[in-house]
Amino acid sequence: MAKEAAVDPLDESSRTAVASLSAAPALRIIPPLNFCPVEKQLYRSGQPSLINQSFLEQLNLKTILWLASEEPMEDFLDYCLGNNINIEFVGLINDYSYTNINPWDSLDERTIKKALELICNQDNYPLLVCCGMGRHRTGAVIGCLRRLQGWNLASVSEEYRRFTGARGGRILVELLIESFDVLSVEGDPAKLPEFLR
Amino acid sequence: MSADILETETPQLQRLMLTKPNYVPPLNFSLVEDGIYRSGFPMPVNRPFLEQLNLKTIIYLGDLGAEKPKKKDKKDKKDKDKEKKAKAKENLECADQKRGVNGDSTIDDENEPEAKEHKPKKDKHGTIEILENYKSWILSTDIKFHHLVVQSSQEPFTLNTQEEAQASYVEALNLMLDRRNFPMLIHSNKGKHRVGVLIGIMRKIFQGWCMSGIFEEYEKFAMGKSEYDLEFIELWQPDLVYDPKNIPDFVRL
Repeated sequence: MAKEAAVDPLDESSRTAVASLSAAPALRIIPPLNFCPVEKQLYRSGQPSLINQSFLEQLNLKTILWLASEEPMEDFLDYCLGNNINIEFVGLINDYSYTNINPWDSLDERTIKKALELICNQDNYPLLVCCGMGRHRTGAVIGCLRRLQGWNLASVSEEYRRFTGARGGRILVELLIESFDVLSVEGDPAKLPEFLR
Repeated sequence: MSADILETETPQLQRLMLTKPNYVPPLNFSLVEDGIYRSGFPMPVNRPFLEQLNLKTIIYLGDLGAEKPKKKDKKDKKDKDKEKKAKAKENLECADQKRGVNGDSTIDDENEPEAKEHKPKKDKHGTIEILENYKSWILSTDIKFHHLVVQSSQEPFTLNTQEEAQASYVEALNLMLDRRNFPMLIHSNKGKHRVGVLIGIMRKIFQGWCMSGIFEEYEKFAMGKSEYDLEFIELWQPDLVYDPKNIPDFVRL
């Protein structure tokens, strides 16, 4: 852990180093499955569980965007309630249309549009986007967000596949990202997070 | 699509989207924490993307351009140590490209530097040219560039003898403990192993992530090949110095 120390005479850099760091923090924190920062105060992951609590506390989340077709586990809902985290359910079965009836079905365009409009609002940050495994549904939404940021499609796919595990990416998800109409996303330009400006 | 534009109530947002150029992030690009990005070697096609990140610092963990004593300039603090080893490590600038082409190869070029010592090849893959071109682009910006030499493989497991690599990692970690250096891009050649080790060490020491979480993240970028990187991340414990005034928010102490 951190301890105060004299200035290291061997440190040739101009800054004044006054502390030394020589051990990892005693309390280890456990990131959720497939966790990764996406942009400032925007994160992605699979469904967090109880063991991820001390990790999630570091993020000071305000909102969780839940993309799976089923509700998350009870203890996760309790955790969010107890920590004043707002959960937005986007993509639940029968929420919008009959095209989204199986857990393994992809999100449809309207669901992605709704998710992106939440992401485009700085008021929801810090924000965690997640689904069951953090692979395809989360990947589809983040992929469309990257297109909104002006990324070329090959780079978007590279990132999507990074999170899809050993069975790889689904062509239908990539197609969804490719065909998504970024101009359909609506929102208040004044509330856009900095990385989208 | 055109109908959507007509119907929309907030055309400003759409107009904003329409003005975005087609950005190409570097290979294996990702945000690590607010203020720190990781990637593979940036190429000219990535420059518009990099420019909008408003980077203050770039750290290159790699061996390109480090082999030839003549190429070395004052910028590189590691050069003196480097020169002793330079002879034995000649021609390794191409090693990474070869690894890239046949990642499954059972022959590791790095293991047999002596074998190639007597027949030096001249910048076969144009890597020196790429590096020089890259450096001159950096000079045209306000970005501070740190070239920290790390050879491309740590095989066999030589935790106690990789002094040069360890010194480079320590320097990189100290730079990462000062948020005045942010936003910062850390890259290697492919953004897999060397950056993966550094980020793994950072997750362990700065943030106290559990090992399995660190290994999962490493694997996302390395995609299958890890040599002894994971063992190194787990076992190595550097001594770092920092100024509490400038410590980034993501560091847990």
